[in-house]
Amino acid sequence: MLRASAVCEEAGIPTSTLVCEGFLGLAAAASQGQGVPNIPVAMVPGHTGVQSKEQLRENILGVTLGNVLNNLLEAPAEGKLEDEPSARDIVATGTLDEINEYFLTHNLSDGLPIIPPTDERVAAFLRYTDRKPDEVLGILLPDCRAATIWSIAVNGVMAGCRPEYMPVLVALIEAMSDPYYGNEHSGNTPGGETLILLNGPIAKELGFNYTQGVMRDGFQANTSIGRFWRLYLRNIAGFLPHGNDKATFGNTFRVVVPENEDVCAKLGWAPNSTDFGFKAGTNTITASRYTGGNHISSISGSTPEDLMPYIADSMQKLHSWHFLFTVGAECGGTLRPLMFLSPILAETFAAAGWNKQHIKQKLWEMARVPAWHMERVSRDWTQKPSWNLAYEVSMGRMPKVYHESDDPNRLVPIVWHADDYMIVVTGDLGRNSGYIFAHNGVLGYPTAREIKLPKNWKTLRASAAKPDSGSPTTKGKRKNGTSS
Amino acid sequence: MSDSEISNAYWPRSPRQTQLKPLARRLDTLRGKTVAQLWDYVFRGDEVFALLEEGLKDRYPDIKWVSWKEFGATHGNEEHEVLASIPQRFKELGVDAAISGMGA
Repeated sequence: MLRASAVCEEAGIPTSTLVCEGFLGLAAAASQGQGVPNIPVAMVPGHTGVQSKEQLRENILGVTLGNVLNNLLEAPAEGKLEDEPSARDIVATGTLDEINEYFLTHNLSDGLPIIPPTDERVAAFLRYTDRKPDEVLGILLPDCRAATIWSIAVNGVMAGCRPEYMPVLVALIEAMSDPYYGNEHSGNTPGGETLILLNGPIAKELGFNYTQGVMRDGFQANTSIGRFWRLYLRNIAGFLPHGNDKATFGNTFRVVVPENEDVCAKLGWAPNSTDFGFKAGTNTITASRYTGGNHISSISGSTPEDLMPYIADSMQKLHSWHFLFTVGAECGGTLRPLMFLSPILAETFAAAGWNKQHIKQKLWEMARVPAWHMERVSRDWTQKPSWNLAYEVSMGRMPKVYHESDDPNRLVPIVWHADDYMIVVTGDLGRNSGYIFAHNGVLGYPTAREIKLPKNWKTLRASAAKPDSGSPTTKGKRKNGTSS
Repeated sequence: MSDSEISNAYWPRSPRQTQLKPLARRLDTLRGKTVAQLWDYVFRGDEVFALLEEGLKDRYPDIKWVSWKEFGATHGNEEHEVLASIPQRFKELGVDAAISGMGA
């Protein structure tokens, strides 16, 4: 693992990094971000996950061992970092088509046309924040680039956002920069994609869709802000497919999903933002990563007792390899499944006196699997070490509920605590369905931020409909030889 | 903008914050050296390390190994903590070289 090797090298300890053959491109890209482009790696032929013990032995002793010796005993070639433009360089001049061609061929776009980030457009975005353009919100791995207000504005323009979305974009990159979120894992094998939840009155003010078809594209705020997140992951964090983004299959970006707070208020249910310590009514975003999800269609019944078995069964069946985030020292206790409930289902629960907490508790009690199955998935099927629930409990690394007896058929919850479940009311007002997302634990742990509006927000919004004269920023300088 | 309007577009990245870092001096030999194993708990690293130990046993009979179990997972919940502890732990354990796996 390259980050660990870089730490060792910096401490004066020579390293050899073991890299499966298919990950050599990723290693080359990641080493640039770590400032050690010449760090030596030892190739492991093929992928260990599909090799017999004999094949693995032949590969390690026949190929990898020699590489390890070379890595530790032979001086590596001189390292060199790639030359790059500066932060405010103009890199392309031309027509819309020419600029788009430049951005595509230089891996600066996601394959869709972009809005050129010109001085005037970037300036319009910067007016919607009180923060200075050069302020750094964090350093994003693996490319180790600064997440700046400036770069947020530039990528927001490119994504097709409106300038008034800027406060939302800033909050998102604050979350992306939070080590708790684990953004550095965004290019890993499962290829999960971030889902952005939105809470607060800003959903209405900026015209987000939060009813029927809430996960569909077609609504500028929902769609362009979702696209912005993926563009920022590419351009600043450096997650490019065939480079640092090693998703086996990957996902496209997800549109932003706001909670329907009108329904929450009517039912007396706390909005999702309160689970993260914010007062109800605060404008917030919550970012977390999911490999996928599934619709729970037509959840039928007039009481919670009618509804829960189907919901809990669907929840349990969606989770398999994700037990990696339930069991063990590496990531245990970080699984946070998310469920959308359509408004009339929420109303049905509420009519019986239930709130989100009741549903979470019932999910914790009902969405369970046999202990032997959880151990088998983790240990045998995905080849992870030390997967023994009794052992983990005895070491104090898991709650006691995972080993209340030695019966291998005992049922154990898929998450540690009822509060690990997240429930959001959204979607079609007239349908009785739900949607469950399979969470990726530390590879995108739910992280929320308040959306802070600029002091002159109301004035800016009042003038937004008027023609915009613009006030250009300090003009960027041309990077020699980089225009199209 | 119209199709023919000429615009200037900014670079959408920001500069890397890392400088080129020198690598550690390589060893003259592994004879009598202490080699640490760092593992991110994926891709059968436990088996791979066992094979490497076996493969070097005859050539370097006095090599000393510090098992991956000493350090914890270098990926996941503990990553930041484990990586931060490495320089001090290596000093305490007298580590001369490290092998880090699996993946990238």
